[in-house]
Amino acid sequence: MEFKLEAHRIVSISLGKIYNSRVQRGGIKLHKNLLVSLVLRSARQVYLSDPCPSLYLAGPAGSRGAAGVGGGPAGGPAPGSSPLKKPRRNSEEQPGGAAAAEEEMETGNVANLISIFGSSFSGLLRKSPGGGREEAEGEESGPEAAEPGQICCDKPVLRDINPWSTAIVAF
Amino acid sequence: MEQSYVVAEKFWPLLRVLFLAQEASIKLRKHFFPFSPLWGFEPQASPLDSIKGPHTSTQGLGPWCSPTGSPAPLSCETGCGEGSWILVCRLLVPTQVSLLSMEEDIDTRKINNSFLRDHSYATEADIISTVEFNHTGELLATGDKGGRVVIFQREQESKNQVHRRGEYNVYSTFQSHEPEFDYLKSLEIEEKINKIRWLPQQNAAYFLLSTNDKTVKLWKVSERDKRPEGYNLKDEEGRLRDPATITTLRVPVLRPMDLMVEATPRRVFANAHTYHINSISVNSDYETYMSADDLRINLWNFEITNQSFNIVDIKPANMEELTEVITAAEFHPHHCNSFVYSSSKGTIRLCDMRASALCDRHSKFFEEPEDPSNRSFFSEIISSISDVKFSHSGRYIMTRDYLTVKVWDLNMENRPIETYQVHDYLRSKLCSLYENDCIFDKFECVWNGSDSVIMTGSYNNFFRMFDRNTKRDVTLEASRENSKPRAILKPRKVCVGGKRRKDEISVDSLDFSKKILHTAWHPSENIIAVAATNNLYIFQDKVN
Repeated sequence: MEFKLEAHRIVSISLGKIYNSRVQRGGIKLHKNLLVSLVLRSARQVYLSDPCPSLYLAGPAGSRGAAGVGGGPAGGPAPGSSPLKKPRRNSEEQPGGAAAAEEEMETGNVANLISIFGSSFSGLLRKSPGGGREEAEGEESGPEAAEPGQICCDKPVLRDINPWSTAIVAF
Repeated sequence: MEQSYVVAEKFWPLLRVLFLAQEASIKLRKHFFPFSPLWGFEPQASPLDSIKGPHTSTQGLGPWCSPTGSPAPLSCETGCGEGSWILVCRLLVPTQVSLLSMEEDIDTRKINNSFLRDHSYATEADIISTVEFNHTGELLATGDKGGRVVIFQREQESKNQVHRRGEYNVYSTFQSHEPEFDYLKSLEIEEKINKIRWLPQQNAAYFLLSTNDKTVKLWKVSERDKRPEGYNLKDEEGRLRDPATITTLRVPVLRPMDLMVEATPRRVFANAHTYHINSISVNSDYETYMSADDLRINLWNFEITNQSFNIVDIKPANMEELTEVITAAEFHPHHCNSFVYSSSKGTIRLCDMRASALCDRHSKFFEEPEDPSNRSFFSEIISSISDVKFSHSGRYIMTRDYLTVKVWDLNMENRPIETYQVHDYLRSKLCSLYENDCIFDKFECVWNGSDSVIMTGSYNNFFRMFDRNTKRDVTLEASRENSKPRAILKPRKVCVGGKRRKDEISVDSLDFSKKILHTAWHPSENIIAVAATNNLYIFQDKVN
């Protein structure tokens, strides 16, 4: 359980770094972002492989979550890429490391993702599990209801992995 | 495809504001920069050219170098254990005008004053980003984040002030790189000087290469002590006289003038790197040099600026398969066909340019198997090599990763022959260091002239020296509070848990904002230059 929390924390810190690197002076630093994406991948693997059934989400979005879990430990390069990956492939400065390890994405998460990023990551760290559930449906109400800086200790954590995967790809 | 439009649409207002802000900030910086690079054919005297004459001003030295004590005989053989290190001088690079210090009247900020002014704050542009002695050790060049290069020259030995030898004064200052904006990629290119490398001296002038993220420049630094005088084609104000009034032709005569040091850019090697340049290295043939970025290494000829040869390319066809980047590269000191480059995975490759035009296949591959007991989330980051240096003999290479310095024998690829722990007490703090970005700090490492001692920096303004022969090591501190001129540096110790003895410092008290990333060792003497933020400390070995 501790590993999961630690991994979760590291994942959110890493995503924050990737996000901030977009606006840093001097452009995106390939080396640093590659290292961050490697940390992200390690943390994610630990997170997904750590058996902790209470965190798995059962529900309408459960299929996505379960698929994510099943594919997690394997972590191979994604055969089915999200549509967002294709335009970015031509971009020179994309850290490919983490993206290569992602599973299938749900396109429905992308709209979420934009609003999450737009609210400066406050949407990713969510306090109430209830708020998280709506977010999985693809609506944008979640981030507004979220409180920044809260570390989520309950259910919606696993579900958040997929939007984060898309986040890396989008970046 | 719709998804990308959605992203663009949502982000465009924000991005547009960012671009405009970036452009505006570049314009403002240019406007307030008090000096400009020395272009063109006529030597324009810039206020920054140090004027030296018979009464040499001790700019930048202040009270720290008042001579006390007897002169120290310098020897290369003492290593770091027998002798002790004394502070020679602390030099403040001249403060740059920046947006942060706008409250002061620009006109009253004289550059000369700033040499002696003791700032309690440092603008980010003053942070030293590279330090390098030239091949004789007479000159010491520093580059900073503001794109400036400051060259210090060693005080000449004089009969009445024998103990002043070893001190360095400002010799020349010039703006090497300016911030640029790549409109095509909407990226600002930082003017920070990443590396400076000297060329060996072949005539009266000095030549050095300086590079930022994208462009390498060759600078010529020369002295001028004569001026042509006696033109009669112009009047006193410099206006051309009416040719009808000129009845005689006077040949100008060279008259001595106050010594002036001028720097001119002789070559600009641009547009060859898509990624950020991290290293440059002059070849031992003195005709070529290489520049390395994250994924490619290019070979240049000094005379040709519009072409370079790509000799290493590790960019994968699909960027998503990227697993490692190049972090440093250096030519062999004697064999002009060999070079090494290090990677973010902790490996070093030795390449031979005679084998093929594109050196993607290495001749030797140096990698140490990972210790599985030390595995953590951050294992990859701390194994990334931040610097690689050949020994002067050419027999060994030294690599620096986050926690250790390793010495490798070129003849043994499967493991290093020596490993030195720089600050192993940080191993348990990697998560915090990841959060505050310190884990990405790129420390450099240097050999001494005889390859017997190696030195590297750490946090809290500490730097470490390891004697390869005696296996002794020492931790020293470069700080204002603890260093009086000619004072002997006291070895420092970091206490790792348990009871803290007097004079020890605990790991939690370390100041991680004070990091020593750049150091340099004189090529033949025991004189070292240590860059601590905006301060340059020069220490020399004093044998008791």
